[in-house]
Amino acid sequence: MRCSIEWNFAHRLVQRLGRNSDLTDAATGQVFSAADVPGRIAGFGAGFLSRGLHPRDRVLISCGLNPESVLAYLGAIYAGCVPVLVDERTLAACGDPVFAKAQAKAAWTANRVSWDGARRKGLLQMEGGFEPCPVSSVPPAPCLPDDLAVLMPTSGTAGVPRLVMVSHGNLIANTEAIIRSQSLGRDEKAMLILPVSYCFGASVVHTHLYQGGGIVFDSRFMFPDKTLRAINTYGCTTFAGVPSVYNILLRRSHLGSIPLPGLRRFLQAGGPLAPENIQALRQRMPAPELFVMYGQTEATARISCLPPDRLEGKLGSAGAPLDNLLIRVVDDQGQALPPGQTGNIQVSGPSVCAGYLDDPVATKGRFIDGWLNTGDVGSRDEQGYLWVCGRSEEFIKMRGIRVSFAEVEAVVAAVPGVFECAAAGIPHPEAGDALILFVVGEGGAHDLSTKIRHTLPPQWTCSSVRVVPQLPKTANGKIARSQLQALV
Amino acid sequence: MEDLLAKVQTAFHSAFDVDPQTITLNTSPEDVPAWDSMGHVTLASSLEQLFGLTFDVDDLMEMENVREICRVLSGKLGQVQGALLN
Repeated sequence: MRCSIEWNFAHRLVQRLGRNSDLTDAATGQVFSAADVPGRIAGFGAGFLSRGLHPRDRVLISCGLNPESVLAYLGAIYAGCVPVLVDERTLAACGDPVFAKAQAKAAWTANRVSWDGARRKGLLQMEGGFEPCPVSSVPPAPCLPDDLAVLMPTSGTAGVPRLVMVSHGNLIANTEAIIRSQSLGRDEKAMLILPVSYCFGASVVHTHLYQGGGIVFDSRFMFPDKTLRAINTYGCTTFAGVPSVYNILLRRSHLGSIPLPGLRRFLQAGGPLAPENIQALRQRMPAPELFVMYGQTEATARISCLPPDRLEGKLGSAGAPLDNLLIRVVDDQGQALPPGQTGNIQVSGPSVCAGYLDDPVATKGRFIDGWLNTGDVGSRDEQGYLWVCGRSEEFIKMRGIRVSFAEVEAVVAAVPGVFECAAAGIPHPEAGDALILFVVGEGGAHDLSTKIRHTLPPQWTCSSVRVVPQLPKTANGKIARSQLQALV
Repeated sequence: MEDLLAKVQTAFHSAFDVDPQTITLNTSPEDVPAWDSMGHVTLASSLEQLFGLTFDVDDLMEMENVREICRVLSGKLGQVQGALLN
């Protein structure tokens, strides 16, 4: 295969931008009109190169909910540089370690964001916009489908994100498959309240722009009615959110009484939304279709999608694999399991990434012979629909904070009367995830549940404490997480 | 108002683990990185616990900065006192 500009994801996207491809900041009202967007992307690309960056150089991009972050991100890819995405809100905490890990040569932040990690190292620090350039004056960087396009952060241990190596081919394959799964037209406009540094947010940006549509960014979702009104003001057709977003909409907004006549679809991913909340959403907002999806950064973004016409019949399912992916469920020895049996979910196909940057151990654990081990536990039914039970990995996210089961188990095991403990997670309407504790007591111990609840720190949400005679264990004596999840 | 602000500062500290002294009447979500959509829910819960009241949807929409939070709170606390007197 030859190096070609046709494989450059940002070039392809720029070629497909249409007259609806405005980028709008709902908080400020600023609009980059569709006619200007290609030149703005090319301008960022040319700007990065003129400041001394070369193709393949890595540049940290601070991502906020605004058009500039997306222009900078796409401009870097267009020029062949590799953007390393960091959420603006975590820049203070994660900027330095991510910058070092990615061996970035430069950093870009919006004008209002202060971070000088690159400058402190004597490297290039850039702020704000670049002059737009005619696309014809800035040639896109030729590349191969397997060339690294972007380094996407994903949660890792000790608070430092791992960086997933996403190629141009991964982006093209996933973007096109998602477009097919949602039947996205050429006149779409997405309301985006998720940053582009999060794979779900990025996938909404990619798919809508790739189809010639536009994006409205809104950083004001803490006041959800403002976002709902902006959906109307700007004529948005798509709204994307994670479960906590829908929980907030259902409980803390005027969803249903603010009419949204132009909205065609809700996209939901980022963990399971409780079936009763799915039904509540459908009841409150019957007209827009609801697409429930499942995905991972390690597979670029989306893996499966539940079509709206199957929502009723398959309520609680994560849907069917995208049309260019294979999903299988295997046991702990890697043997494929038949439909209905619960095991580890694995994915294979052109949007499965190459692995984590400079982390061969973690890569080996998750990327096995062309299959991505998702770390999720679940089953497939006879029709091939995926049912996800939960994470087999030893972390849950409570109130937005990742907590390791090991940490929880250590705290609980220290309670007098506890012999051993295993923690599992279940979805929780407010906290995101909550703990379920399985506890084996010492002889004669009583009132364990109360004692444990008094010991847990207040930011941990504990759904239940179950005293059990023994914990499920693997052959080498470790807690069998997938069996434990089945008890939840 | 100062007593109210002090309690609001305590709520910010417990919700976002920030130095209470950095929270002034002029503080808005742009000044506190963790004050995003989930953060707003956490902050509201923490205020509800501290003041022993509940916010409705309209209250939450009005709480755009610390000054507005104090205004919403004093309105609600006034109602509570009024109800007790009746």
